[in-house]
Amino acid sequence: MSTVTPDVGHPGAGGHDHDSHGHHGHGHAEPSPLSLLWQLPTFSCDHKVIGMQFLITTLMMLMVGGALALGVRWQLAFPWERMPILGDTVFKGDGGQIAPETYTMLVTMHASVMIFLVIIPILAGAFGNFLIPLQIGADDMAFPLLNALSYWFMWPAIACFGASFFFGGGPAGGWTSYPLLSAIQQAAPGSGFAQTLWLIGLTLIGVSSMMGSVNYMTTIINMRAPGMTLFRMPLTIWSMFITAILQAFALPVLTAAGFMLVADRTLGTCFFIPSGIVVNNAAPTIGGGQPLLWQHLFWFYSHPAVYIMLLPAMGMVSDMLACMSRKPIFGYKPMVYSLAAIAGLGFIVWGHHMFTSGMNPALGMTFMVSTILIALPSAVKTFNWLGTMWGGRIQFNAVMLNCIAFVSMFIVGGLSGIFMAAVPVDIYIHDTYFIVAHFHYVLFGATLFGCFGAIQFWFPKMFGRMMNDKLGQLHFALTFIAFNCTFFPMHLLGVAGFPRRYADPYHFPYLEHLLPLNQFMTCAAIVMGFSQFLLLANFFGSMFFGKRCGRNPWNANGLEWTTPSPPGHGNFDIPPVCYHGPYEYSSPLCHDTDFLPQTEYVPLSQRQAVAQAGH
Amino acid sequence: MGRFWAIFFSLAAVVTVGFTAIGAEYWWFPGDGHAHTTLGKKIDDLFYLILIIVAVTYIGTHIVLGYVLWRGAEIRKDEKVWFSHGSHALEVIWTIVPSGILLFIALYQMDVWRNYRVKAYFPKKTAAVAEVTARQFEWRIRYPARGKTLQPRPQPDDIYTVNDIRVPAGQPVSISLRSDDVQHAIFVPELRVKQDAVPGLVIPVWFEVTETGTYDMVCAELCGWGHYKMKARVIATSEEDFEAWKINAAKEQFYDGVPATPDAVAAKADEK
Amino acid sequence: MLRCKMTLPSWSSLLWGACLVVLTVGCSQNPEAQFAWRDTTLDLLPKAREGVQGAIHDAFGTPHDLVAWDKLPVDFGGVQGAVQPAAEGETLSATQFHVKWDGPSAGIGAGSELLWMTGALAKSKHPTAMVVKYDDATKTIELKTKGDAPAAGDRVSVGYGQQLQLGRAVYMKNCNHCHGVAGDGHGPTAQYLNPRPRDYRLGLFKFTSTLSSEKAAREDLERIITNGIPGTYMPSFLLLGNNDGGKEKAAVVEYIRWLAMRGEMEKRLVDELSGDYSQTSLDAEAVKSKKSYEEAKVEYDKARKAGNKEAEKPEPAKSASQLKKTAGEELKKYLDEEFAGTINDTSEFIADAWKRADDPASRIVPTVARVADDAASRERGRLLYMSDKAKCYTCHGAKGRGNGAAIEDFWKKPGSNETYAKRGLHDTWGNPLSPRDLTRGQYRGGRRPIDVFSRVYAGIKGTPMPAFGGTVLKDSDIWDIVNFVMSLPFEESVPSAKPASAPHMAATESVGQ
Repeated sequence: MSTVTPDVGHPGAGGHDHDSHGHHGHGHAEPSPLSLLWQLPTFSCDHKVIGMQFLITTLMMLMVGGALALGVRWQLAFPWERMPILGDTVFKGDGGQIAPETYTMLVTMHASVMIFLVIIPILAGAFGNFLIPLQIGADDMAFPLLNALSYWFMWPAIACFGASFFFGGGPAGGWTSYPLLSAIQQAAPGSGFAQTLWLIGLTLIGVSSMMGSVNYMTTIINMRAPGMTLFRMPLTIWSMFITAILQAFALPVLTAAGFMLVADRTLGTCFFIPSGIVVNNAAPTIGGGQPLLWQHLFWFYSHPAVYIMLLPAMGMVSDMLACMSRKPIFGYKPMVYSLAAIAGLGFIVWGHHMFTSGMNPALGMTFMVSTILIALPSAVKTFNWLGTMWGGRIQFNAVMLNCIAFVSMFIVGGLSGIFMAAVPVDIYIHDTYFIVAHFHYVLFGATLFGCFGAIQFWFPKMFGRMMNDKLGQLHFALTFIAFNCTFFPMHLLGVAGFPRRYADPYHFPYLEHLLPLNQFMTCAAIVMGFSQFLLLANFFGSMFFGKRCGRNPWNANGLEWTTPSPPGHGNFDIPPVCYHGPYEYSSPLCHDTDFLPQTEYVPLSQRQAVAQAGH
Repeated sequence: MGRFWAIFFSLAAVVTVGFTAIGAEYWWFPGDGHAHTTLGKKIDDLFYLILIIVAVTYIGTHIVLGYVLWRGAEIRKDEKVWFSHGSHALEVIWTIVPSGILLFIALYQMDVWRNYRVKAYFPKKTAAVAEVTARQFEWRIRYPARGKTLQPRPQPDDIYTVNDIRVPAGQPVSISLRSDDVQHAIFVPELRVKQDAVPGLVIPVWFEVTETGTYDMVCAELCGWGHYKMKARVIATSEEDFEAWKINAAKEQFYDGVPATPDAVAAKADEK
Repeated sequence: MLRCKMTLPSWSSLLWGACLVVLTVGCSQNPEAQFAWRDTTLDLLPKAREGVQGAIHDAFGTPHDLVAWDKLPVDFGGVQGAVQPAAEGETLSATQFHVKWDGPSAGIGAGSELLWMTGALAKSKHPTAMVVKYDDATKTIELKTKGDAPAAGDRVSVGYGQQLQLGRAVYMKNCNHCHGVAGDGHGPTAQYLNPRPRDYRLGLFKFTSTLSSEKAAREDLERIITNGIPGTYMPSFLLLGNNDGGKEKAAVVEYIRWLAMRGEMEKRLVDELSGDYSQTSLDAEAVKSKKSYEEAKVEYDKARKAGNKEAEKPEPAKSASQLKKTAGEELKKYLDEEFAGTINDTSEFIADAWKRADDPASRIVPTVARVADDAASRERGRLLYMSDKAKCYTCHGAKGRGNGAAIEDFWKKPGSNETYAKRGLHDTWGNPLSPRDLTRGQYRGGRRPIDVFSRVYAGIKGTPMPAFGGTVLKDSDIWDIVNFVMSLPFEESVPSAKPASAPHMAATESVGQ
């Protein structure tokens, strides 16, 4: 069990207590590759199993969210024509033509599923869980039970989201759920019980994230292996640490706001509802509230959440880039500081979502400066990634390709963000497809490509087998091309004034000519959606048929690569002691290899000699 | 294979830049591509300024990326890579330079934003022409009677239209934006005007249309299932035409269904 | 890349499989939109139902195969004309001839459909032909046809029904979500709306400029489409059709009229039959028969007990199947002999009613111009409003807030002894309805004085708002009431228990409820 105390605090590797893994007995024997998979349906407190549970769940949810997105795209390409599956089953009598509230439901639920059930849990939940103890040399999380609960709290949330489809056609207030649309039950078909369920689901996700975040912080602070100083931590750990802090501070605000909104809806409080509003001929509201309050509270969480959805991917990509370039990360400390800067600034930029909302214009100016400045640490990171690859021996495998895509797409997403940060320009592009392009470049283009890379990078550690690289490259190429074909034109749509969340934009004369472009984008989106089956096939197929591999197939430096693949219960059969930073690739200290594991001891004299040589 | 991917990523950048350059011919700002308000023109200038900065950065970084990948593909297995933990000087440079550019962008925007939203900086003599009330799913507009000023409360002689905002061109005008139910947003792409209509608030929005014409107007904030239905227009006319329209609209609105005289009826019939 | 050649085919076959899934899903059979039938239609005995459905189907078709029935006063579009005689010494060609058109013919082009209205060709197997070329300058039409040559003077119609097609396209894009494919007010969104979207199938429209006995004029429908109905989810479609000269609006008006006629036709035919030939009526009859048998049996037993040997034994109750059999026989006779006549009469009745609606004689025209809107007139109006003659206050309330005593009562359903489940007024469609709050300045049928006048004069069709014009109130009285009612939103000087609320007041103030 996880109560086993590792030898934290004892610098010598020799002081290893054999009892610590005596009870699982197979310390050095190669574990069964699928040992993690078989534990999936169990209530396990092992961080690896929980990470795996998160990963598989989020991959399934990715397909659900993708299907919803294809529904959105279908309507935009063939408005009011028959929609396959959904139209055929639910709207038979209307000739398969969906109802407009169904479109807003698709938009809302696509966003909700992708953000709350895919991106946040795949980063913090799946990779955070799997990697944090392994990379810092701990045998498990600090609070294993809390960790397990954080996963199992996902399921009531998924159930709430799922059940909400059956009331009023599903929540349809957008993932931002601005009141009064979301606060008054009669305001829209999906504003009834579906919206309440959605809010409860959101709160449960928050509970799940919160349990994870407390755990990550504690684990990273307290359970590092001997020698693993803060500045020897891989950037993945740094990013997870900072993400956990972000979550811990931002989430309570959202949870409070969620409860306030639920109270407005069910108990008749009026936190967000002004007086005398008559919607759908319901009784006039009693009032006293302010709809803008919700926007402030919501974005106070949801803007940091954008970084919660990005920072861990940045960290993982840094790790992978260094490994696949066979070079140390360029500017390790600036990378750490810029992560922290993004997180810090991330707390004071939420108002840029509200430039046109009618809040005090002076606030707009303040938020513009802070928002534009947040581009700075992002730029520093980008330059450092390029510096990392510069002069490296780049391994062009599926992992690296996804990481390069991450960098490239993050540049696009970051640069398009500058348009939005500039308030006067944002007046025009706010709530147009320019925004949609921007956040898909950041969340899909950057984060998801990062995740695709990370899945293939750490898959050997999960299952002791390699994923098929050629298939991975094919999946990457298809996804990358289709992704850009789908989302790049959205910038132009945005400039053309194409508004978001429109079930039928083409009855506006100035948008009519955009239909063919949208049809092209939809075709690309369909290709992109179906390409993900390649990933799934590769993922699940490789579990059984992938090439067997040893502990360190990538010749990487991190502590996780010193464990068996997959690691047994308690992770480390050889208790790790850390002597270097994680990025000492191609170091002159290496002898015949081009990597220097963190656990490899190098005598001081050698180190000094190399240091004098000017590195 | 490495070179293939280096070209692949470079090509992706070339294609996106090319697509933007060529696509801008077909899919760019609506109408004739120019803003039709005084502030809108300034917004366009800022947009193009940022576009240039961004395009240079994008192309620059991708040239570096392509080069790095190409070199990375060429490096042989036995060749040593460049072992470096970073460069302090470089970090300083690429922190200072972008921050200078970014601060410039931020500060350069300020006055346009101030003129757009800060009431004290609205042009003097901005006439309040109408109250625009958004509701699910249409815009109801109330104008003061000819020669009167807009009152916060309706007056018996007010003129009403729906989905049809009339303003005089060539002078700063303002509208009072309200919402009857949920949140909406007024968006007139060709005028570069956007402002949320927040329940419980009355928000003044000013603009000065420079050319007469008809401009499409949409709702830009999700307001329910019929969000896309809020199709409206802004018609900017000369001052005289605006007054003439008001006279006509008032006549129509107070029509009592009784033909004035039998002769008039006959005259009307003849016209047909 | 070479190495993976062995594995790739299996993976790529997976991709092709995925594409195949897309294709099959994308190209499988369209589920067709359907005109939903009335519940009462579905309740008819099978034969009767088939009769009604067949008749409606023949006359109106399906959403994907509309029938333009020339008996209906619907402008189906297209242009008509007569074939010009051939030049001297020549005979008329089957494929090329001149036509003298009744109206503008510039819209004709290659691909238009030509329909023979009269002459031999109209009765032939192929009364239609496709236009391959048309020259509007010489009015020369070229056809692709295998038929015979027409005779001079034969009437043709080109593009017949295209207005209906356009109307349907516009309707399915803009109206279908609420009003439903059949115009039954049961679109997918309808259930969430308050008030419910109009069900056209009674042929009733609330806000018209026509007399209380008349249907809605085209102009009325177009005005509602253009202006919307404030206070409801019917939005303004002012910009429908983007400056196409009102083409789409006109088309959708025709389509809505057509749907209303279709619905009313169905309802009238069903009402004709459902009294005798529906499942409900048969069930009721079986129950009735059983009950009367039991009552008679009790009498008979009593008589027997009393020693009356001559008491007649009651006839046994008719079973449901017996009743069904008799009904079936009667129905067959009815369908064979009378039903065609019924269809004919009904369609004529409906067509006449709709034709009349556009007749200027059906239009409400006040005999006097609006009475000067002064304090005296408003006071007269107020007195009338409170009088027993008009009794406006019973529903609209003494202060015009729509809170009269009537909203507290349980009202009877028309034509039965049952009361509605909810307190308050109901419309003909059975939906709850609140009397208008006149102080809000919201005028659903339009805010022109003539609109408010018409509401009082002719009432609001399908609602408890009665018609006062002509009989109860003089036109000048109505104008007084109009002046009074239209002053209510601005009545701030008049002291009242609660502050009067105005429609467009600053939103931070309370509505005063």
